[in-house]
Amino acid sequence: MSVIDTSRLPRLDDEVLLPVIDRMIWPLLAVVSLGVYVFVPQTFSNVRSVELILHGSVGLGFLVLAESICLISGHFDLSVGSIAGLSAMVAGLALSPQKWGLIGDPILGVVLILAVGTAAGAFNGVMVGRFGINPFLQTLATLIIFEGAKLTLSTVTVATLPDAYVFPGNDSVTAIALMLAAFLLVGFLMRYTGVGQAIYALGSDDEAARAVGIETARLTVAVYAISGFLAGFGGLMLTGYSSVVPPDIGSGLVFQAFAASVIGGISLFGGRGKITGALGGVALLGLIQAALVISGTPPEQIQLLNGLVLFVAILLYNTQTRLRSRILSTEA
Amino acid sequence: MATTDTDPGATDDAADGTGDVKVRMDAITKHFGRVVATEDVSLTIRDGEIFALVGDNGAGKSTLMNVLSGVYRPTSGQLYYEDRPVSFANPSDARERGIETVYQDLELMDDLDVATNVFMHRFPTRLSVGPLSLIDWDRTYERAAQVLDDLGQEIDPKTEVAFLSGGQRQLVAIARAITFDPEVLILDEPTSALSFAGSELVHETMERLSEEGHTQVIISHDIAEVFRLADRIGVMYRGGLVDVVDPATTARDTVESLIRTGARDGV
Repeated sequence: MSVIDTSRLPRLDDEVLLPVIDRMIWPLLAVVSLGVYVFVPQTFSNVRSVELILHGSVGLGFLVLAESICLISGHFDLSVGSIAGLSAMVAGLALSPQKWGLIGDPILGVVLILAVGTAAGAFNGVMVGRFGINPFLQTLATLIIFEGAKLTLSTVTVATLPDAYVFPGNDSVTAIALMLAAFLLVGFLMRYTGVGQAIYALGSDDEAARAVGIETARLTVAVYAISGFLAGFGGLMLTGYSSVVPPDIGSGLVFQAFAASVIGGISLFGGRGKITGALGGVALLGLIQAALVISGTPPEQIQLLNGLVLFVAILLYNTQTRLRSRILSTEA
Repeated sequence: MATTDTDPGATDDAADGTGDVKVRMDAITKHFGRVVATEDVSLTIRDGEIFALVGDNGAGKSTLMNVLSGVYRPTSGQLYYEDRPVSFANPSDARERGIETVYQDLELMDDLDVATNVFMHRFPTRLSVGPLSLIDWDRTYERAAQVLDDLGQEIDPKTEVAFLSGGQRQLVAIARAITFDPEVLILDEPTSALSFAGSELVHETMERLSEEGHTQVIISHDIAEVFRLADRIGVMYRGGLVDVVDPATTARDTVESLIRTGARDGV
């Protein structure tokens, strides 16, 4: 006679395995941390180095947040890095007395960078949401356009920015706190508000979302505008981190933004993924980046290795999708 | 085979139904570009009845009901709800009036759980901070469990819809439509994906809702189902409404003939 009520035990496949697959980032982060600890232990030599890892990830973190919201809604934004760069350049030029010198108040500078970011995002949103342009094509075009616009405005570094403007991105505690607050706030809003859930609905099945009364075109514009806003914020953090606006600011960051989102469990098909997972993805990429730099790896090789990390992310995602399908088909 | 209805006039009177008019569709025409999906369809649906809409594929049944659901705006014609002219810009407008739909494709969000599907866009809330209200997830799961229980289902409301069988998904779609106690419930092929037991459950639910006074419209290919449930049957053929009959006084053959050919005697 069995004393164990097997119907009450967690079913291995969907109650244990699947939640683990969906939250892959955390075991992965643990494994990589262990690996780094073993091979490049000086990365963790003290609290300060952990702080440096996180501080260095803040700019990217905001881009990951932007990209994650977009992905959850069933879209994607290839231009997040370019939006960050362009808005940072516009604001930097406006604030720098050596350049345009249009504004002196650092708060106006923040307003400007966020406004440019939001406007750029809204442009993407209107084209995709109202005119039905394919998101890949639209944001690929704006990736190139915004990058080009940024370089047209300046091919040299913009310096002499107001201290107060640079401070939020420059001060490690402030920058990290802002990033954590942003992730927590967005994660909370996604879970606990109707709009947040509507974004998941849009990503899961846009037709079903319309059937329950969600205005999908308007929501799409909003999602891209928010993405642009957060990209602008990312631009502010990137500016602060180096205290200047270099001409290559934001360039190429979209790839890492995608990698971190996907590693963090955000589905490329939309409708699933937790914002907190994306934060784990940021931490993972930041950790790998820091370990590579501290270990003395040359910058060219770092690029190669970043590419490999993205490749691993794709493989993991693919495995996750196939495991899910296999589990689902055995359930039916 | 001989038919039992001999006086077309008497059949028409019976086929007007009894009770107040809940919905009136007046000369509803819907075009999609050059395709004419429905042409000049006029019918009434009475309060508390089960009205069946039958017809072959492409006859225009779903299109017509999608006008009532708020999914489509008619190209011409007017919709009346409780004697007042109405115009639905989107499904939300229709739902606000108490018109709920179980779509043929179900229109569920597979990545999300059952309770989220049932309450999407209408979550129970607590604590309002400015324009934002926070979702009360405890109540959401509780109420979802209640509705599923009423439908005789033991589905955990936290289950992801992708995990459910076809029949369970159908019942979740029905749960979503009845949760807010609709005035008019439209069911588009509700038992097509179901087993015998599942179909029985849906039929019993519809009969119970009818007893409770809800008005229902069922679109179905299943003549037996329609003859069992419906108070009146409207037959569509190539975009037009060719007849409305009383199942109690009409032979199945007549209805089948109307579906196939648009005429009662199938010539």
